[in-house]
Amino acid sequence: MDFSQMNAAEQAHMSRVIEKKQMQDFLRMYSNLVERCFNSCCNDFTSKALSSKEEQCVMNCTDKFLKHSERVGARFAEQNAESMGAASK
Amino acid sequence: MSFLGGRGSTPAGQVNPERVEMAMQELDMITDVFNKLVSSCHNKCVSPRYAEGDLNKGESVCIDRCVAKFFEVNKKVGEKLQSMGAGAAATGATQSAFGTL
Repeated sequence: MDFSQMNAAEQAHMSRVIEKKQMQDFLRMYSNLVERCFNSCCNDFTSKALSSKEEQCVMNCTDKFLKHSERVGARFAEQNAESMGAASK
Repeated sequence: MSFLGGRGSTPAGQVNPERVEMAMQELDMITDVFNKLVSSCHNKCVSPRYAEGDLNKGESVCIDRCVAKFFEVNKKVGEKLQSMGAGAAATGATQSAFGTL
């Protein structure tokens, strides 16, 4: 986003807000990921301990989600840049 | 010195609440779209059988197409809503834009 037309006080204010939002966003992502991986990996409740298979599944699920989100982020940035370029023509 | 200083130029060192509000709205909108994009494309492209921690080729291609398509849908819906708004304004509809639905 472009904050260049803002003055220094406004930019400082925005970066504080953004920092706060990033924290909130991270916490939300964390809890969503726990929910997602728990639902995908844990279906057997004959034991209270996480089996090694389940643990491996959770590790893979987390890994894969982060890679997924990274890839979506890259494509998202590309699309954004494209539409920005089209709009400024 | 006015704290209710009008739009446009705000003295340096002061925060124009209107402008900050606009920027926050834009930020919220972008974050929201991104989070929905991640969640939708994950549901549609990534198999929930987590045999490995890497995205395989099929999943990667699916994600790329999913993002492009999501943007296209976003654009189409935006255009549709805009034309509906324009149509309602043209017919002089005084009720809500969705009153006829």
